[in-house]
Parts: sequence; structure tokens; C-alpha cells
Amino acid sequence: MHLQSDSALTDEQRAIRDAVEEFALEELRPEAQELDDAEAFPEDAWDDLAELDLTGLTVPTECGGFDADKTTYSVVNEAVAYGHLAVATALSVHCLATSCIAEFGSDEVKEEWLPEMVDGRPVGAFCLSEPGAGSNPAEMTTRAEETEDGYRITGEKQWITNGQRAGVYIVFAKTDPEDRGSITQFLVPADYDGVEVGKKEHKLGLRASDTTGMTFDGVEIPEKYRLTPEGEGLSAAFKILTGGRLGIASQAVGVAQAALDEAIAYAGEREQFGKSIGDIGSIRQKVADMATQVAASRLLCREAARQADAGEDSRVIASMAKYFASEAAVDVTNEAVQIHGGYGYMSEFDVERFYRDAKITTIYEGTSEIQKTIIARDLLD
Amino acid sequence: MKVLVTVKEVAAVEDDFEIDGLSIDDRYLEYDLNEWDDYAVEAAVQIAEAADEDVEVVAATIGPERSEETIRMALAKGADRAVRVWDDAIADQTLLDVNAKASVFEQVVAEEEPDLVLTGVQAADDALGATGVALANRVGYQWAAVVNDLDYAAGDDVATVRRELEGGVEEITEVDLPAVLSIQTGINEPRYASLRGIRQAQQKEIAPHDLSDLGLDAETVDGALELTDMYEPESESDATIFEGGAEETATELANVLRDKGVVGE
Ligand SMILES: Cc1cc2nc3c(=O)[nH]c(=O)nc-3n(C[C@H](O)[C@H](O)[C@H](O)COP(=O)(O)OP(=O)(O)OC[C@H]3O[C@@H](n4cnc5c(N)ncnc54)[C@H](O)[C@@H]3O)c2cc1C
Repeated sequence: MHLQSDSALTDEQRAIRDAVEEFALEELRPEAQELDDAEAFPEDAWDDLAELDLTGLTVPTECGGFDADKTTYSVVNEAVAYGHLAVATALSVHCLATSCIAEFGSDEVKEEWLPEMVDGRPVGAFCLSEPGAGSNPAEMTTRAEETEDGYRITGEKQWITNGQRAGVYIVFAKTDPEDRGSITQFLVPADYDGVEVGKKEHKLGLRASDTTGMTFDGVEIPEKYRLTPEGEGLSAAFKILTGGRLGIASQAVGVAQAALDEAIAYAGEREQFGKSIGDIGSIRQKVADMATQVAASRLLCREAARQADAGEDSRVIASMAKYFASEAAVDVTNEAVQIHGGYGYMSEFDVERFYRDAKITTIYEGTSEIQKTIIARDLLD
Repeated sequence: MKVLVTVKEVAAVEDDFEIDGLSIDDRYLEYDLNEWDDYAVEAAVQIAEAADEDVEVVAATIGPERSEETIRMALAKGADRAVRVWDDAIADQTLLDVNAKASVFEQVVAEEEPDLVLTGVQAADDALGATGVALANRVGYQWAAVVNDLDYAAGDDVATVRRELEGGVEEITEVDLPAVLSIQTGINEPRYASLRGIRQAQQKEIAPHDLSDLGLDAETVDGALELTDMYEPESESDATIFEGGAEETATELANVLRDKGVVGE
């Protein structure tokens, strides 16, 4: 059920929403629980995403991509997450990597990587976080030493989405370990000597997505794989992550909508005290709250997208969208479990997974606290 | 060569709905491309994709302006353009019967001169299941109904088809072109529309025609069938469950079948 009026989208955006949502519901949702259980990523589904042109979502048309506007980007992220958040996350991280290459790579590097990434493989990963540097990436210790014809990268990254699946890593490292301002963005192919994938983490949710540590042990890369000038890596990361935030916010809307739809259906089916629980006042109030939160979240996402498409500075509204939608997703999935009662606690019911999955959205790509810090800074400083 | 695919936007009714006279209010309806037509479009697009020569796939529909959104999904999946026929005289019908549809499509075929016409076996809403064959009869094309396997390459004069007959019997037969084939679900795996396909579809032509454009008058669509009433049939559940061994339950079942007159004494 779409709570947003159809007239808010163009014909093309609406058709994209309907097509991707149908795909997500028919192909992703049915296998989500099994994959969650097995902690396995659906590689076949990834191939399907490529067939649908989703793996080239943010790649310019010159490089064979779809070059989606931000509203379409938001709509697609919501629709994929409506089916399975772990797949949506893998896709949005792949899109972060393609965005970095498209935005900062030379023509030669773009030509080399983007057309194939548009076709789905190599999969991209984005390596910013480290064991000691999460919310504050400036504290990273990964190092890039200049060599005769390029750089040698050494360091540890943590919790890298697509860590195992990726064929190419976007890596942030300091060219001068003493200088916080020396963070630079590099491209590292997975098959280079010294690239080591750490063990796959076991997680509360998002279990079908592979999250791993990464070790770069003196990986020698050519000069052309330095994507930004030295010292401009962090601002590049933040720029790309502003787009990423809209993606995660929209994914949060997708999971929340999925939980809401399940809750509404269940409230209509389940009977207690001789009537359907959907006739009980407190359940009705819950559903009204949930639907309002989902609608407000979605509108923040669409407004952030609209501002970005209009060329306005959308950083603050994107942070508001990410903060509000992710917290709403946690609340809404929690209430969806509550409405299901004991059945909601059982893994046969999708809401159990939605509840576990939703939590990650308040953490990655900038925690809720960090989003609020960004919003407050804009208002007060 | 040219392949014409007839497509229809059909309405599915939500679980809870109200009947108002001879119709169900729009708010209880969800519109979508008729499932069988989705398979017919896929079959046509596959012929075009595998061809060495140029194959144009034209979708033809009888439907109001609203149906363009649905028809565009067929364009997004690979049809090249569409023809949409609508007219006040069509809107006035309580039920557009097979003859009326065949008359309309007859003119579309006369205009487009396709080598192959693919229709769905039936439409999910009124399930008349006869439009394809009636059309073939009108235009004098060969035909095969309920096709669940198709072996045809663009330019061939003959299509080899497998048809589903009653009672689980299947028939493999050859059909000379030009021909009308009514396509059964399961013949292929219809694709999802890709983003690029959707974008391209926004630019593709959906040419509107009214009856006079096709050289027809209002009487042509005055069919012999009239919709006179609409109601929800009483559904009683009186399931009988036989318990016990096969021998015993088979005897009980046989008795019931005999009692109800399903089988003779
Ligand atoms: C499943 C998963 C996938 C991930 N994928 C990736 C990936 O692909 N690439 C990548 O680079 N990273 C990835 N991450 C890392 C993620 O982005 C970080 O976990 C996140 O940025 C938070 O960093 P941290 O975990 O070190 O928490 P910390 O920064 O240690 O934060 C701990 C707590 O302190 C709060 N806090 C910290 N600083 C402040 C402050 N200044 N003001 C107020 N509160 C503050 C935080 O909000 C949080 O509540 C992933 C993480 C997970 C769990």
C-alpha cells in the first residue's frame, strides 16, 4: 500500500516504484528469512538487480549507467528494502563505490571499472570505518605511503559491507599519519597482493549481508588509483555519504512500511475476545501512529531528494531524514512485533526479522547522535 | 516482420469491497496488466530479441486513458509501440463481448497487417477466453489456442506450437503464418521491466484511436451480451473429511459421488 499520493511522482518514477516493489515482493521477500538464517547473500538476486539496471543506478549514462535523479534513488532504495533490507544495503554500498569512482576517478579509471560495475560485478565496497575510528573517521590509522609510481596502503578497516563479495574497494587512508587533514581516497582492486578479507561477522540483523574486517597489508597500487588529491578524501567521503544517507533513510522507510503492512494484515486476521484485534482501540491507535511515522519519514526523504535534485544544499535535511526515518523504523517494527504478540517473536513471521534488521539503520552511515550533531551545528553555530 | 500483441488492463478486487449496481467502486480495485498478456508480450519480445531481421512488436489494447500506465509496462518490457482504442460507445457498454472486441481488433489487424498475433488465453476479469480465436476467424488467419510452448524464429512461415487440451492432453502442431496464437501462462518467464526499459517506454508512442478512426460505428460494439446483475455468490463450506484407510475412504467417496449424481450407478 502506498501512503504517498501517486501525484507526487512522475510517471517514470511511479512505474519504477511499482516494478521494483513487485520484484522485491516476489523475488526478495520470500527467501529473506532463509538467507538470514544461513547468513548467505542471494547472488542470483544480485544478478536480477543488474538486469533491472539497479546496479548502475547512480552511474552516469556515459559510463552505461542509469544516472537516476535523487527522487528515483530514494524510491528504489525504499522499494528494495521493502523486500529485503540486507540486499538494499549491499546495493546502496555498491552505489557508494560507483559514485566515488564516477565523481572522482579519471576518465581512464571510470572506463576501466564502471561499465562492468553497472553490469553487477565487480561488486563495490566502501572502506572508511576502522576499529578505532567510527563516528570520527579522522582518527583513522590506515596509511598510504607514496612509492615510485603510486602508493602502498597499510591498515585495518572494520565492518565493511560487501567485504567478502567485493571485487573493488574504495579505501580511505592518510598520506601522513600525523596529519588528520591528509585523508585521501583510493581505489583498491580485490585481487591485489596484500588485500585480505577478515572473518564474516555474526550480527543481530542484516544477516544476509556480509560484514567483514579488511586488512590492507602493504598493498601497492598505481598512481591512477588515487581518486582524490591528497587531503581531500574526507570531504569527498562526506559528500558521497550525504547521498548515502538519503539511501539509508529511504531503506528505513521501506522496512517500516513492510512492518506496517504486515501489522495491518495481521490485525485484520487475528481474533481475540470474539473480535478481530484490529477492532481493539489500542491496536488501532498503534496502527495510526505507525502509519503517521512512516508517512512523515517518507516525506522527509522525498524532500531531501527534491532539494538535492534542485541543486540546493541538502545536507541538513538528509540528516533529518536519516535520523527520523531510522528511529521511526525501529519504533514501527517494534510495534509490528507487539501487534503480532508471541507470533511476532517467532522467526516464521517476517516482522521478527524486520525488527532485528531495522536497528542497523540508526547506526551505520552516521549514527542518530551524529545526525543530530550535524542538524544542531547548522542551527546553532 | 511484425508481431501484434493484444493486451488488456484488468482490475483485481480487494478482499473487502462493495458492489454498487453493476460495478465495483474504483477504490476497491487495483489495475494491472492481464497476467496472460504478460506472457504473450514476453513471447513476442523474445522472438524480436532472437531475430536476425527487424521485428516490430506492437501492443494493441481496448481501454480508457487510465490504462496507458499499464500498457506502458508492456512497452517497458520491450514492445515498440502501442495502439489504444477507446470510444464513448465502448464506455457505454455494460460488457464488451467477444464479437465487439473481435470487430475492433479486426480493424487494428487490417491497419497493422501483422504476421503473427499473440493474445492471452483469457482476461483475468471477464474470462471470456475467446477473443483470440474469434479474431483469427474474422481476419482469416490460422490459429492455435492455449499455446504453452512456442518454437518460432522471425521470418519462418510456420510456427510449431504445443497446445494444452482438456484432460491433461497436450498436442504439438504446426501453424502456418499469418496466425493468431492465444498464449497460456507458464510458456516463458516474463521479465520485470528494467529501469532503462521504463525510461524508454515514456517516449514510446501509444496511438489513441476511436471507433471512427477504425472505420467502425457505434453499433459495432453493441454486443449480444448484456450485464444484468452483479452479486457475490453464496459460498457455503460443507467440506466432508473422510478419515481412515484408503480402501474405506475411497468407498465413502464413491458413495457420495454416486449420491450427488456426479457418476452413474
Ligand atoms: C552492519 C554494519 C555495516 C557497516 N558497513 C560499513 C561500511 O560498508 N563501510 C564503513 O566504512 N563502515 C561501515 N560500518 C561502520 C559504521 O558506519 C559505524 O559503526 C558507525 O559509523 C559508528 O561507528 P562506531 O561503531 O565506531 O561507533 P562509535 O563512533 O564508537 O560510537 C559509539 C556511540 O557513541 C556515540 N557517539 C560517538 N561520537 C559522538 C559524538 N560526537 N556525539 C554524540 N554521540 C557520539 C555514537 O552515536 C554511538 O552511540 C558498518 C557497521 C555495521 C554495524
